[in-house]
Amino acid sequence: MKEATANKMNSEITVSGRTFIHQHAAHCESGVTAALFRDKGVKISEAMVFGVGSGMFFGHLPFIKWVGMPITTFRSRPRTLFPKVAKRLGGKFFTKEYRNAQKGMAALRNALSDGHIVGLTTNIYWLSYFPNRFRFQFNGHNIIALREIENGFRVSDPILDHPVDCSTEDLERARFARGPLEPKGFMYWVETVVENPDFRSACLAGMKESCYMMLKVPFPFIGIKGMRYLAKQIIKSPEKLGFPEACRRLANVVRMQEEVGTGGAGFRFMYAAFLQEAAELFGSDELAELSQEMTAIGDIWREFAVVSARVVKQRGQSEETFAKAGGLMLIPAGREEQLFKELYNLLRKLEK
Amino acid sequence: MKINEVPQDDVPDYSEGIKKGNYALDDKGKYVMVPSKGWVVDEMINRMAYDEYKVKEEEARKAVLAGQKSPLAYYMELRQMTPEILGKTAGIAAFRVKRHLRPEIFARLKPSVLGAYANALAITTEELITVPKNPRER
Repeated sequence: MKEATANKMNSEITVSGRTFIHQHAAHCESGVTAALFRDKGVKISEAMVFGVGSGMFFGHLPFIKWVGMPITTFRSRPRTLFPKVAKRLGGKFFTKEYRNAQKGMAALRNALSDGHIVGLTTNIYWLSYFPNRFRFQFNGHNIIALREIENGFRVSDPILDHPVDCSTEDLERARFARGPLEPKGFMYWVETVVENPDFRSACLAGMKESCYMMLKVPFPFIGIKGMRYLAKQIIKSPEKLGFPEACRRLANVVRMQEEVGTGGAGFRFMYAAFLQEAAELFGSDELAELSQEMTAIGDIWREFAVVSARVVKQRGQSEETFAKAGGLMLIPAGREEQLFKELYNLLRKLEK
Repeated sequence: MKINEVPQDDVPDYSEGIKKGNYALDDKGKYVMVPSKGWVVDEMINRMAYDEYKVKEEEARKAVLAGQKSPLAYYMELRQMTPEILGKTAGIAAFRVKRHLRPEIFARLKPSVLGAYANALAITTEELITVPKNPRER
């Protein structure tokens, strides 16, 4: 009974007259992509989108600064998930950037009146339906515009558990915000989908790319190498940067891991959920085991977050130290390396 | 993480009722998405970042009242911007934005330039030439 009322609250009628069911998701980009495909009749979960689109990643980029701190990321580059999923499922899709805000807003209105629901990249600071403490100058938040309403748009934001209204002014500012990783009014939707898409080959392609990104990128800041690099940096950081700055940097890593809509443990639990779904799809016990291992790895990431928070909070008064936090990060590094090597070998078997 | 391990901490001041999705295992070992009321670790880390902006904003406000900076500096911090971001948004070169943070130079700005700043900062031109007397609430 409770579920029925919840569904009622979350269902919306789009311009084309279809019912859109809003689903709460962990992460914005995977949530939006999954919702766009579901709207076209493809049954796909957020975790499946994340796996097929090779969302799994790790990178620590000391030379690119964001608010004065090196970028640490647990996910692939923003705006790549949707096109990858669309390609791998064999659908036709539309993506476009706009330089001019008026043209971009007009294009959105046209797309909506043509009956599409439209994915939009936005700056989360300008979306005033969020509480103040969620609002930071971050240009990679994704939402879906469902239809135009008076003075604004009805939007489905996967981070929230129900659709909301967004004023035209907010949306225009959010879509055309300037700064690092500008959204440039980026909008996208699914044009057509193939009937019964080949999920197996899509999964294989997604997993293969993830293995490559985690293991083989010849660059010391990406994948497992990046984790080991960052772990060493954390251990050295109090001496190198001074205690307050070291705390700030460590807190930033935890923030990227836990705060910004990752589903827990920097997307590791979401990837474990994907591996579980893939295991059912292929009927593979090996994949099921890898899913369990990924869950265990995620638990260690959570522990890293807890220990790091203690280090920062106690200001060096507790027994937890930067050395312990950094050391804790080396464990998932080693285990993820093993996991992706096994996955890589398994892929060849599954391909047959 | 199992369902009963998903944090359900009370952090109303932070989440304001928003529940974040967490992936966790049910009793049968199957993954489900579980909404989390909040997590103290996440709340603390967020507070650090948020307070950093708040401190900058308050410092700028005091500096404006003390006549050391122009009101533009306060509103730039309020919007969590840098001279580069503000400059791009208003269509004014970053080095000019930096000059305009000085009160004596800001006082001589043309209405059109003030208008461009006010528009970029989503405030009115009248608001732009003064700062609030009291600190803003969280």
